[in-house]
Amino acid sequence: MENMKTNETKLTKNDINRVSRRWIMGSQITWNYEKQMAVGYLWAMLPIIRKLYKDPEQQKDMLKTHVQFFNTTPHMGGFICGIDAATEEHEGYKAKETVRGLKTGLMGPFAGVGDTLFGVLFPTIFGSIAAYMGQEGSMVGAIIWLLVNIAILVLRTFTAGIGYREGSKIITSAKDKLDALTAAATLLGITVVGALVATVVKANVTATFTSGEITVAGQDILNQIMPCLVPAAFVGFIYWLLGRKKMTSTKAIILVMVLAILLHVVGILG
Amino acid sequence: MEIQVWQIIALTILSMILIWDSLSTAIFDGKPMFAGILAGIIMGDITTGLAVGATLQLMVLGVGTYGGSSMPDYLTGAIVGTVFAVTSGQGVEFGIGLAVPVGLLMVNLDVLARFCNVFFAKRVEAAIDRLDYPGIKRNIWFGMIPWGLSRALPVFIMLIFGEDIVNAIVNHMPEWLTGGLSVAGGLLPAVGIAILLRYLPVKKYISFLLLGFFLAAYLSVPMVGVAIFGVAMAVIEFKKSVNGNQVVAAANAGGLQEGLLDGEYED
Repeated sequence: MENMKTNETKLTKNDINRVSRRWIMGSQITWNYEKQMAVGYLWAMLPIIRKLYKDPEQQKDMLKTHVQFFNTTPHMGGFICGIDAATEEHEGYKAKETVRGLKTGLMGPFAGVGDTLFGVLFPTIFGSIAAYMGQEGSMVGAIIWLLVNIAILVLRTFTAGIGYREGSKIITSAKDKLDALTAAATLLGITVVGALVATVVKANVTATFTSGEITVAGQDILNQIMPCLVPAAFVGFIYWLLGRKKMTSTKAIILVMVLAILLHVVGILG
Repeated sequence: MEIQVWQIIALTILSMILIWDSLSTAIFDGKPMFAGILAGIIMGDITTGLAVGATLQLMVLGVGTYGGSSMPDYLTGAIVGTVFAVTSGQGVEFGIGLAVPVGLLMVNLDVLARFCNVFFAKRVEAAIDRLDYPGIKRNIWFGMIPWGLSRALPVFIMLIFGEDIVNAIVNHMPEWLTGGLSVAGGLLPAVGIAILLRYLPVKKYISFLLLGFFLAAYLSVPMVGVAIFGVAMAVIEFKKSVNGNQVVAAANAGGLQEGLLDGEYED
């Protein structure tokens, strides 16, 4: 009993690993419009709360603290759980306000980096390679992408541990490198997208121009101006369209489908 | 080809596993690319699944569901599209033509699932008031039910009843629609790319967008080659931004010296 009492506020490596696993499995399971990932965060921290707070009223209060609005990139949330666990281990119940501030203060910056990296850039870079190879009948790109996703999953299991060790220092100490990494990854993403415009958007111009006895295929004229002119112009058009008010990606998709049918019917594209 | 009962069951389970995976472990990350391949494996036609998945993947490049916005669900679309491309024998374009409307319809069910979970979140909060730990855990995991059913039910229903409807569509689909849909299949990736460009700081890195386009359009460099070029540029950018200040200072000094040298030559 004596030993248990002196150890009762210490977290073990095992506790932190549990937080990591629980965050990965549960962060979005009860995602809802009201509090988004709040319930997932609670799920991740549940064993920590039960271990650190013995007074039922304190427990209840901390459970409520952890079921407030929360939303970040699932890949990055582990860091925040780790930082939170370190703070609560050292400061205990009186850190309630600090924890609340940490959570809301960190979820934005982590989401900023995480959404760009894991929501946009990784799927773009590996997704476009996989899709490009897939259209040619090769699975290699998809397998590479799958392996990358598995590697990311393995790395995610370390996030809570890193957050726990570095505590709240992490965001300041790693900030320069994170920014640089985001900038470099963005550059890579944009280069790939430039190539995508030329390769994956397909528009076959079937219109021909007749002048006297000479018939010229529209596609040949366009190719002389610039290869992939129509795809590039079309991407530009959609880009402009998406910048307009009340335009959503879903509306744009419907519009493209209608436009494609019309252009096909009048014989411009085939 | 007739779809077998075991295939319907397997595909229904697949749709549930894929949505749960996308919310947690994310190894298939909710992407149509993988959904197409896996549905293709179940249907015994990986080639078709790969092609349907790849084309849908290009449409959704850069589309994430972060911040809780619902996107067209081409994950489910890829499963249904692959199945009907195989069973109808009409090929990949036909499958994609079906996957798109299915994906658009599925948005509504995604929204519904996210609403249903408000109910379970309320029950979690009620359990906290009672300090009822089993109740808290139970209601958190109940959240999986709306997610799973929102995909499994429509897939199941479409696979059970869909074939007659699909056959009817095939027999009566006019040329302007089938031809138009295949044109749309070529153009739709433009939407994914444009969405992506809206997310990314294009103005800052416009030269790399042009370089990527130039390599592919004029030099016909394959995608992996373009990616290697991009990595090379990214490494330079990374090093530059890590010691941003020193580099800026050095560049200024260098510029000054060059200016002097230029002046000397002119003399």
